[in-house]
Amino acid sequence: MNAVEIKDLVKKYSDFEAVSGLTFDVREGEIFALVGPNGVGKSTTLKTIATILAPTSGSVSVFGLDTARDAHGVREIISYLPEEAGAYKNLTGKDYLDFMALVFLRDRKKAAAAVAFGSELSGLKDRLDDKVKTYSKGMTRKLLLARAVMIKPKLAILDATRPTP
Amino acid sequence: MNIFLVLVKKEIKELLTLQVILSIAAMLVVFQVIGKSVGSQNRSTASRNGLVTVDLDRSALSRRLISALAEAGYEIKPSAERGIEAALAAPAQAAENSFLLIPAGLEKTVNSGKKSRVEFYSRFKKNASGLGPVLAASRTRKAVAVVSGELSYHVLERRVPGVPPALLRNPAPALEFAVVDGRAVEVPLSQVVAFIQSQTYFFPVAVFFIVILSAQMIMTSVAGEKENKTLETLLSSPIDRRLLVMSKLTASAVIAAALSAAYMLGMRSFMSGITAETSLGAAAGTAAAGPALAKLGLLITPSGYFLIGVSVLFCILCALSIAFILGVLSEDLKSTQAMMTPLMMALMLSYLLPIFIDLSSANFGIKFLLYAIPFTHAFMAPQNMMMGNTAQVLRGIAYQAAIFTVCVFYAAKLFSGEDLLTMRLKFGRKK
Repeated sequence: MNAVEIKDLVKKYSDFEAVSGLTFDVREGEIFALVGPNGVGKSTTLKTIATILAPTSGSVSVFGLDTARDAHGVREIISYLPEEAGAYKNLTGKDYLDFMALVFLRDRKKAAAAVAFGSELSGLKDRLDDKVKTYSKGMTRKLLLARAVMIKPKLAILDATRPTP
Repeated sequence: MNIFLVLVKKEIKELLTLQVILSIAAMLVVFQVIGKSVGSQNRSTASRNGLVTVDLDRSALSRRLISALAEAGYEIKPSAERGIEAALAAPAQAAENSFLLIPAGLEKTVNSGKKSRVEFYSRFKKNASGLGPVLAASRTRKAVAVVSGELSYHVLERRVPGVPPALLRNPAPALEFAVVDGRAVEVPLSQVVAFIQSQTYFFPVAVFFIVILSAQMIMTSVAGEKENKTLETLLSSPIDRRLLVMSKLTASAVIAAALSAAYMLGMRSFMSGITAETSLGAAAGTAAAGPALAKLGLLITPSGYFLIGVSVLFCILCALSIAFILGVLSEDLKSTQAMMTPLMMALMLSYLLPIFIDLSSANFGIKFLLYAIPFTHAFMAPQNMMMGNTAQVLRGIAYQAAIFTVCVFYAAKLFSGEDLLTMRLKFGRKK
């Protein structure tokens, strides 16, 4: 089964067509990069896979689940990191990971294990006890990446993880 | 595990920053300091009850007038000067502000059936401010009444012996009755009005601030999450989106209630300093009129207070849900200020208009406008409960609940779809 299947995806914002008839598949276990110039609809496509936007036409499925018809099921198995995302500035890095783990896993034991993994991944060590507003951009990005991966999703959707030079 | 509580806890942590806590503490301290200093100055002004008497008559009548003033609570300070100019200029009385001149021959003139006069002098300092001059003027008015009354008694005792002077002065005292819903009770209307005002003075101010604070918080929270893109992460999680809406509403309401309590504590301390002296008489009168007011059905019962509380709760919930929607429509954090305007206008209308106009006799258009705003029902609830209009309060609560339900459904709908990220109102931008 493919991790992602996109067929003839069209996404319009009013009269503006952000994505025009996109089709591609991503196999399970594959690291897939969607590359292209600015404004061609990469982020829109990723948001559609992440169930945040609904396709205007065409279909998007994640591990066989249609993102429009079974959005909740898709959300159970994905983790999405938006482009230029921030974290809650008044929470500490640790609090942020705790909160996100509970939100995604809804089980304290699983969440604690995920946070331990995420803390290790982030490499932020003692700085995890500081508030996010004291972090540099790079540190925030590390925290967000750790958050996206720590819950070990079946599909991680990472938007522009490496900033464009 | 209760995910709703996890969400509320996160919201509260985000909203209750050190700056917010410090600003609450600073506000409490400032109000406390101002209130205390104003209060102590007013008390010291009020305690200065001295009255310098320049008695040029030195008769039985003049002594009677002075002792009546002493009985009325005035601290009599006899002056040895032989004229008012000298008494005003005397260094010993430089700090005194109230003077009474009893002219020579007062008793003789009055006893002969001719008109005489006594003179009160009140010193007004050009740089005087605060409530001191107001209190001094009030004290002088009372002293004038004491002296006039005593002079009348003196004349009546001499001219109409055998008849009590009190009967002659006021043979048929006028009794004031207030009529509420056909029930007439002997109590001056002024006391009824003073009571209603004393019961409703702080209430609308508190509600006003709770609503503004909570609305601002939730708008900032929603717009901030949009701007920081933390919302997109939450929206991609398997959490029920209605829970996200409710957690934000709950956290904002909790913090707003705490902030408002702090504000009202400070405000109360501040106002008590200002009004302690001036409202003492009115408060005492109101307390004395308690049984009469109870007979008129103007005292709010515990169940009445409960209904008022419910009305205020729904008022806050309505404001929160409307502010939530406005927050969703905001372009970014900066534009939340502009988006607050319609909510502020509605609040101001429902808060201020009932103060200046009588809603019961207002025309249909104004009534419709005011009652269409859900906040009006909370502002009017105490007055309605006092007047026994329980049905009106219940109708208001039902209306507020309906508005809240519609707004929450709409907010949840916005959260359920992609409108949350794509729908916005733009200000000051050309296409």
